[in-house]
Amino acid sequence: MRIKIDHKKCIGCKQCEIVCSLAHTGTANPWRSRIRIFIKEEFCLPVIAGPYTEAACNSKGMVMVDGLEVDGCVVCRASCPTKSVYKEPDTGIALKCDFCGEPPDPQCVRWCAPEALTLIEE
Amino acid sequence: MFGWNGKILRIDLSEGKCKVEDMPTYLMTDYIGGRGMCTRILFDEIDPRIDALSPQNKLIFATGPLTGTGAPAASRFIASAKSPLSNCVSSPCCGGYFGANLKYAGYDLLILEGKSPRPVYVSIHNDRVEIRPAEHLWGKLATETEHALRADMKLRDDLDDWALNTMGIADIGPAGENLVRFACIMSDGGRAAGRSGLGAVMGSKNIKAVTALGMGQVNIADVEGFRKAVMGFYQEGRDNGELVKRRMYGTWSLPGRANKSKSQATFNFKEGYSEAFVKYEDPEVIRKLIRVRDEGCFSCPFGCSKRSRIKDPEYPFTAKGPEHETMALLGSNCGLGDMEDICRANYLCNELGMDTITAGAMVSCAMELYEEGYLPEKNLGYPLEFGNTNMFKLLKQIAHREGIGDSMAEGGIAFASKYGHPELFMGIKGMGIPAWHPQAFDALGLQYATNNVGANHTKSTLPFYEGRKDPAYFVEFTKKDQDYLATSDSGVLCWIIYHGPLWGEKLSEWLTYVTGAKHTVEGLDRMGERIWNLERLFNLKAGITFKDDTLPPRILKEPRVKNRVVNIDRLLQEYYKWRGWDEKGVPTQEKLRELGLEKEGTGVI
Repeated sequence: MRIKIDHKKCIGCKQCEIVCSLAHTGTANPWRSRIRIFIKEEFCLPVIAGPYTEAACNSKGMVMVDGLEVDGCVVCRASCPTKSVYKEPDTGIALKCDFCGEPPDPQCVRWCAPEALTLIEE
Repeated sequence: MFGWNGKILRIDLSEGKCKVEDMPTYLMTDYIGGRGMCTRILFDEIDPRIDALSPQNKLIFATGPLTGTGAPAASRFIASAKSPLSNCVSSPCCGGYFGANLKYAGYDLLILEGKSPRPVYVSIHNDRVEIRPAEHLWGKLATETEHALRADMKLRDDLDDWALNTMGIADIGPAGENLVRFACIMSDGGRAAGRSGLGAVMGSKNIKAVTALGMGQVNIADVEGFRKAVMGFYQEGRDNGELVKRRMYGTWSLPGRANKSKSQATFNFKEGYSEAFVKYEDPEVIRKLIRVRDEGCFSCPFGCSKRSRIKDPEYPFTAKGPEHETMALLGSNCGLGDMEDICRANYLCNELGMDTITAGAMVSCAMELYEEGYLPEKNLGYPLEFGNTNMFKLLKQIAHREGIGDSMAEGGIAFASKYGHPELFMGIKGMGIPAWHPQAFDALGLQYATNNVGANHTKSTLPFYEGRKDPAYFVEFTKKDQDYLATSDSGVLCWIIYHGPLWGEKLSEWLTYVTGAKHTVEGLDRMGERIWNLERLFNLKAGITFKDDTLPPRILKEPRVKNRVVNIDRLLQEYYKWRGWDEKGVPTQEKLRELGLEKEGTGVI
């Protein structure tokens, strides 16, 4: 089971970030969320936190999304020593998406009104 | 504290000092937040008779109890000060990310006082508040300023992409710097706290921008109940189709409705129907023509705002809008019938930082003066009949106060009077009338005339209650609607989304879940009425009287639309009675006692 992202449908409202922090911490704070919306002029890019990695990359490159060059660091899902995202702002503890428990019921998907995020069976 | 931080950040620009104060409890319990709090603070702290552009005026940025909580379409912010355009107390509402960030940074309100000796910007990053020099930003267009500020921030704090784009910015364009009386405060790439000229207030204080980035949080009393309620709201929106409709077309479905019902402002309100707009009656046409993507404000699933692009080498940008009001006032009302031209005009106004509605009313007034021969071509330097694209040049001149633009920047009444015909400016209390022609609906004429800040579409508009078309209810619904919008502006909810019979009770529901205190619809109605009456008292003290509660002669005497005129005198007396005011529109002692405002009425009644 995984969360499918259709970035063309994302409107950049960050409701997913808020509900993620509400579900995991009981407070509304996008900095404590396990999903981040990167806002570009042409489109918005939802990225869901993956596993923590201890080493920083040596080879940082650009990747193409929809014909637009995007920093590889932005689309990388890992929480790593060089990034500030996917970390608790106070403690620095790394965050990772857990699909909101068992059975999976990701709140970001439920709150995504434009349906940019959907839960699919693999 | 649930829903609030309980902190006010007060910055004295003359001294360059900041201090953090505790929020008085009565502000939260009696005035909800946002607009209500701002009105109360301005009423208490400034003399209503001051010049709005003097250092004595205060500029407040306020959030509401729901800002940043995730309540749908409720994370807006209010900018508030005495308006330099209408001299009334004003509190325009604006979307984007600024409000939520201010709250996350730990402050519910930001009060800016005095006047900085040199251009500065205020940078708020959690508890680090700085007043930084802004000479390098002065003169820049609105989005240029934002790009420069984000680059500054990246250098100083080594922030990543996500944080930089999450940061909220409220800034002014050249129009605000040059004290154009209808300049806006722009935010997040094309949103505006637009209607009352607060950009000029910000310019008069020498502030180019305020940036906010917060990493804090908002606590919610009943998280589980709140999450369930939001899901229910989404379901409601899906079931009645609003969610999809808003996202597809936003306000683009309105030009068609206005044109079909003969109420689209056209040729300086001479007509209510635009031949050129027939092709845009289907919103799908507009969407195909200019849309790049749909955008939502912070925490708004509706995403009714649109980013659009025009095929023009001179403007190689994408820009927000244009919304319906802009299409009407800068479009049909100025005789423009081409969507690309309207987009250009919208883009110009946004970048220069001017209210598209009042700017449209100014330009159309100049066009009519020119066509009638009252405004000689030598004063302009170019012809300016309706539909002439020389208006782009004129818009730039207004923002930079060049040539004729200098007198136009002083507002419609001053400009039209200079050429001997003040009646040709279609505005109320100096503020341009928005898109819907008041002659098409009597209730709308009354709404605009009695509005506390001038002809403002966001503070009073067509009521949506059951039976609204029956003239017997016009006055009652006008009052009810105005009070309702005062509470929703205090939440701070988006009036576009929450303006309908179905969602009228949502504010009390969200408030109860978020703050933990029980709120009822009746209680909120009372608060709305209190806010409206307090605004009225402020205006009375500022010298605005019942004589200003009127409409332009064209609306009152010339039957232009549906062969009707607005009978304002009869409606006004009925309205005052319904409000509990005397025949001169002054709140009575009984009414004020009922609302707990007896002390405030001293010296007015």
